[in-house]
Amino acid sequence: MKKAFWLGMATSVVMGLAGALTAQAQQPSANLAASGLVGKLEGPEIISDASKWPKAFQESPDLAALVKDGKLPAVKDRLPSEPMVLKPLAEVGKYGGTWRRGFLGPGDWENGNRLNASDKLLFWDPTGTKIVPSAAKSWEQSADGKTIRVNLRKGMRWSDGAPFTADDFVFWFEDLYSNKDIVSAPIADMSPGGKPGKVVKIDDTTVEFQFENPHFLFIDFLAGDTLIGGGQSVRQSQGTTYGAYAPKHYLKQFLPKYSSEQAVNEKAKAEGFENWVKMLHFKKDWTLNTALPTIGPWKTTNPINTPTWVLERNPYYWAVDTAGNQLPYIDKVVLTLAEDSEVINLRAIGGNYDMQERHISLSKLPVVLDNQQKGGYKVHLDLALHGSDTTLFINQSYKADPEIAKWLTNADFRRALSMGIDRKQLNETFWLGIGTPGSVAPSVQMPQSPGKEYREKWSVLDLAKANQLLDSIGLTKKDSDGYRVRTDNGERLRIQIQAVKALLPWPQQGEMIAEQWRKIGIQADVREMERTLATTRTRNNEHQIMIWTNGGTELLYLFPRHALPVDPTEAYVGPEFATWFSSNGANGRAPTDPNLLKALELFRSASAEKTEAGRDKIAQDIWKILVDQQYMIGTVGESPAQFGVRLVSNKLGNIPSRSCIAQHCRTPSSSHPETWFYKQ
Amino acid sequence: MSTDQTSREEQFAVATQWQLTWWRFRKHKLAVLSGLIVIAFYIIVLFADFFAYADPHATDSRRSHIPPQTIHFFDDGAFKPYVHGLTQKRDLRTFKLSYQIDPDRKVYLDVFAEGYRYNLFGLIPSSTHLLGLKNAQPEDGIFLLGTDLVGRDLWSRIMVATRISLTIGLAGVTVSLFLGVLLGGLSAVYGGVVDMMIQRLIEILRSMPTIPLWMGLAAALPNTWTVIQVYLAITIIISFLGWTDLARVVRGKFLALRNEDFIAAAELAGASQFRIIFHHMLPSFLSHIIAATSLALPAMIISETSLSFLGLGLRPPAISWGILLQDAQNIETLALAPWLLAAAVPVIIIILAFNFLGDGLRDAADPYG
Repeated sequence: MKKAFWLGMATSVVMGLAGALTAQAQQPSANLAASGLVGKLEGPEIISDASKWPKAFQESPDLAALVKDGKLPAVKDRLPSEPMVLKPLAEVGKYGGTWRRGFLGPGDWENGNRLNASDKLLFWDPTGTKIVPSAAKSWEQSADGKTIRVNLRKGMRWSDGAPFTADDFVFWFEDLYSNKDIVSAPIADMSPGGKPGKVVKIDDTTVEFQFENPHFLFIDFLAGDTLIGGGQSVRQSQGTTYGAYAPKHYLKQFLPKYSSEQAVNEKAKAEGFENWVKMLHFKKDWTLNTALPTIGPWKTTNPINTPTWVLERNPYYWAVDTAGNQLPYIDKVVLTLAEDSEVINLRAIGGNYDMQERHISLSKLPVVLDNQQKGGYKVHLDLALHGSDTTLFINQSYKADPEIAKWLTNADFRRALSMGIDRKQLNETFWLGIGTPGSVAPSVQMPQSPGKEYREKWSVLDLAKANQLLDSIGLTKKDSDGYRVRTDNGERLRIQIQAVKALLPWPQQGEMIAEQWRKIGIQADVREMERTLATTRTRNNEHQIMIWTNGGTELLYLFPRHALPVDPTEAYVGPEFATWFSSNGANGRAPTDPNLLKALELFRSASAEKTEAGRDKIAQDIWKILVDQQYMIGTVGESPAQFGVRLVSNKLGNIPSRSCIAQHCRTPSSSHPETWFYKQ
Repeated sequence: MSTDQTSREEQFAVATQWQLTWWRFRKHKLAVLSGLIVIAFYIIVLFADFFAYADPHATDSRRSHIPPQTIHFFDDGAFKPYVHGLTQKRDLRTFKLSYQIDPDRKVYLDVFAEGYRYNLFGLIPSSTHLLGLKNAQPEDGIFLLGTDLVGRDLWSRIMVATRISLTIGLAGVTVSLFLGVLLGGLSAVYGGVVDMMIQRLIEILRSMPTIPLWMGLAAALPNTWTVIQVYLAITIIISFLGWTDLARVVRGKFLALRNEDFIAAAELAGASQFRIIFHHMLPSFLSHIIAATSLALPAMIISETSLSFLGLGLRPPAISWGILLQDAQNIETLALAPWLLAAAVPVIIIILAFNFLGDGLRDAADPYG
């Protein structure tokens, strides 16, 4: 009906962009230094020298009252003999207070998981670069990389007072993980080289993970946000059952093995569940079941599916400060339900939250800053370490339209698209000039960074070169509106970009990129989609280009799916290749592109590489291929767009001036919220 | 009795119904004014790209959130409208963008200027626009109502949005008019089971709260549809809900007219039912239909605007009033770019105009009353 006028609007001349071709490289640090909002990465220190540990222990007044009434054992009996001793960032804190926070309902369960992430066996230090102990006291790896021994803290207890021992690991492995009714398939983390490993009890406080093949990455996996290392809170909620340990003394009553299938099914029926598996998934979910024993600093006392998700102090938490005060200082965390993130932003600006970094939108930063005084908070900007918040993932296994597939799999075509993007414009408009324009490669601060030149390779605006590349690959013909045409039927070449309005206004950004590509004669149609639809389409290999973040790739091995097609759940670079890779070649299709194949081989080889330096070198080589081939086009990254705008009440103490924003840091957990406290 | 008055009475006596209607309508000053406003809006619909001066899709970070600009009409005592050049600056402490006016740089306005290319009526290629700048640098521009986050000019976007929002209204009313007359007529002419079914259907449709019904229908639209398909579908969705009123009225009118003598006469003369309906009955309540239509239009426009505002109607890159308002529904707009709310002004004006116009038409439709 109105086709002609739609086209008419889309083909108009861009006004006034000609002068914008100035230098790309811009130092954000200079900009940000003036704002005083970016501090240095810091946090509490774990004291490993036992001679400096406190000899006597104190507890919060509410727990002391319970002890006095005989309802709770004394603090020294609740703590392990080797507790984690944390030196708070600034000072020894005071007990008390309720941490007010906002969340978006049961789907936002990560909001609370991330406060409790010290329930991981190993963790990263506050800078996100070094592995440190957490629930486990220490670890050892055999020279052949096939055995990893984890030493637990002697006398450590679950939140109900039961001992936390190696039996809880064996229980998880034998009764939960190995039960096909509960976990349908073994996970890659536990199966180096496709051979499943096992968990063995050495004694009460010693656990061994044993593998048939070398698994040198396993320590990283235990410390990272992986299926094996994620910890109980995130890995045993939402119907999943990973995470290496589980409370045997509590959960065994829900398993057929310890009574009979009939008995547990009857129990399930009585409680309103369809069968025992459904009941188990509820019972081991810390966000829903307030009776579940946990080991994090806070435990749920009002479940997540209510308007206020309340977490209260775990009286058996196994960490103390340097003065011997049992942590956490803060009594309670109250997460209040908000209808959408706009409401969370409004409430945060109004000073209704004591510390909120999740769901705060970077575009609101000027308003957030304006209201600092009135809201009684201070703003910190935490810069991420991954390369690109807005990444164009180009589907290499696309085949619905052979002509489009031909170009999407052409490296020069992808490079031209990348050089046709004016990243400075995007940065100014959507990142307030705060981000760093560049490729998908992680920040040069990261050990796996391939170097500064790879932040820029093919990733700086160069229209002349882009046009020249497109001409050289045979896309010379253009239609009357100046767009390049297909080589098969002479019609305009139209590339589809699918975008979801999620972390950033990706559809709007996609439109800006499509605008910019007009100058290299490429027409891109941006399709805004709801997230579920976009996911379904990508899993069905239907997308041409998908916009998503490459967050998590700052440590490639721990979260590779935003960089390589290895995990079918999220494989925007090639869903069919991910199926092929994850099934060891049984299903899907092998990439024909030798470079992509090389990258995948390198990735597979890393687990057998002995030294950390060697593994970092492999990651660097993978990044060099990925950047050179531009399977993913990076735009702007190293920014605070993803949970990096942090509003902190002036009443809170021990707050780091910069906190690590990364998947493996479980923001804000690597800054140890259990050491934060209310000054008044 | 003066001759003047006599002649007027004579005129009155011999005037056709249309003349009488027009004379009556003319007396309703507000309705006449509203009529002119409606005509003006539809002229914009026809020549939207001509009235726009900047490509409504062109983004530019150097034009992000420019506030509405002042136009200076006189330069050195002569009528030479101009605007000042602007320099963008971002405050590195507050991260706010600000624009400084360069008092020394004057850029003169031009009429019938060359601008971006478009197709007039979707057919005739053109690049002439009502406004433009003389000897402008690439960074210069006119920003009558300011710009949005990605630097698109609000005035130009409102112009183009007007085209979409008002044609959706018109198309929607046309469909619902057709459905209303057809189903209302069928209901009255056939009576019995047909009448029962149509009337119950109307009751069911009218008993449903409109917003949830829209949401349901809009959610049923495949997400993979193109903007044009969505546009058509939204029109149909809106009109499917708008026909019920009209059907009721048409049915009532039909039933009332069926017993009139002139219909009986036509029947006795052997006229076919088709002829009776379209030749004898329809003209006698056409005036009423026109009035009802002019009142239905604003409802359609509001429907599209609210659907798009809620994110259920049109989707970008389509531009409609609802989409412009959707862009403005966040805290940073209120705080940093309040001018984006100007997109609500044309909605208010056209809705009021249509209502007054409908009011005047309804009064005028029955000139003997």
